[in-house]
Amino acid sequence: MTLRECYEKLGGDYEGTLGRLSSEKLVQKFVMKFLADDSFALLEESMAAGNYNEAFRAAHTLKGVSLNLGFTRLYENSNELTEALRGGEKPENEALLGKVKEEYQRTIDIIQELQNG
Amino acid sequence: MRSKVLIVDDLELNREMLSAILENDYPILEADSGKKAIAMIQKYQEEIAVVLLDLIMPEVDGFMVLEVMRNQSWLKTIPVLVITAESKAEVESKCFEMGVSDFIKKPFDNAIVRNRVKNIVDLFLYKNNLEEKVEKQTETLKKQYKLLVMQAERLKESNVRIIDILGTVVECRNLESGEHIKRVKSFTRILAEQMMNDYPEYGLNQEKIEVIVSASALHDIGKIAIPDNILLKPARLTKDEYEYMKSHTTRGCEVLDNVEGVWDETYSKISYEICRHHHERYDGKGYPDGLAGEEIPISAQLVGLADAYDALVSERVYKSAYSEDEAFHMIVSGECGVFSPKLLECFRRVKKKFEDLNHELKKKQEEFR
Repeated sequence: MTLRECYEKLGGDYEGTLGRLSSEKLVQKFVMKFLADDSFALLEESMAAGNYNEAFRAAHTLKGVSLNLGFTRLYENSNELTEALRGGEKPENEALLGKVKEEYQRTIDIIQELQNG
Repeated sequence: MRSKVLIVDDLELNREMLSAILENDYPILEADSGKKAIAMIQKYQEEIAVVLLDLIMPEVDGFMVLEVMRNQSWLKTIPVLVITAESKAEVESKCFEMGVSDFIKKPFDNAIVRNRVKNIVDLFLYKNNLEEKVEKQTETLKKQYKLLVMQAERLKESNVRIIDILGTVVECRNLESGEHIKRVKSFTRILAEQMMNDYPEYGLNQEKIEVIVSASALHDIGKIAIPDNILLKPARLTKDEYEYMKSHTTRGCEVLDNVEGVWDETYSKISYEICRHHHERYDGKGYPDGLAGEEIPISAQLVGLADAYDALVSERVYKSAYSEDEAFHMIVSGECGVFSPKLLECFRRVKKKFEDLNHELKKKQEEFR
């Protein structure tokens, strides 16, 4: 699997990301690093603990990273959750976390596929 | 030299992405929390060229870092570039209000980040250098100004000393008693202050008054050039002798011409006016130039009246002292000198002050004897 194929599978913005980060090597490097990023784990934990301020920050972080890496769907889902959590509010729509989780898992799986060649 | 870039973000991945863009051009410092960022800025104040700041961090967030930077005046020399996924317009404007130099929204473009960082770093380098230069120059100017003030002060002192020395010459020849000079100075001051108060059109102020009072000591300096047989003659002068006597005004100016260039222009000008014109009369019938009305410099008008009054109330080789009342009426009625109506008005208003001073000085003189 190539990096481009990985992005196609993700529904991500490969051309845009390559243009912004200027080299395929860099994009690949940071996509791989995303595997080790624990923003989502922090998001899940803080949601479970009812700490919505921390959940907001984690969702915001996840949103920023996925935005910068061109993970369009993950960005959209995490953005929705971020806005729902703004001000430390408990989200009215409880399905939002599930949507983020589903897309996060899918993303990780596809990147791992890329990693395994 | 400021060259370091401080990257502040709680997420390692974000710091790495920024570092990858800039590490070839700048030494990179990283802080994974607002608290560490503040500590690092404190430590590397003189070395950080720019701070790339994330806003949303646990505990101390980007806004708190900005607040501290503003309060510590670090923002004046260290620019901040905010990089955030925050899309709300009010967040951006709040950042600018707090003094950030630039604001980049995610997703960012590496080339744009690189260029904006370069622009800000260069701009602040230029600005900081310029301010440093201006500061140095201001410091130099302040020093020079201080020096000038000191020199002006010294010059003023030396002006006063020149007058004192010349005044002493007059006293030494025992032409007039030293008391006469002191009294003329005191009467002149009283009159001048009243004049400043009542007739601002003469442009008198405390500074000018000091010069006039000081220079009044020289009004009769020309008398050192008058031979004793005329000057000290205990009888009425002949017409020729009197004409010669009158030349003490112009002779005084010749003496002053010799000090010209040594002292301050204001002092020499006022001294000259007083020496030459203290015997002019408001009706134009005085000497040596027959100046009339306001042609007579105000300095000379003031000293002229003070001198006339003191001559009347004092005992001289050729006359005894008049009473204060007699002296007052002789001056006001035009029997002794002709003075400006405004000056006479002031003189009327300070009649009591003149008398008090006269008593005081006479008392002192008697005690001295």
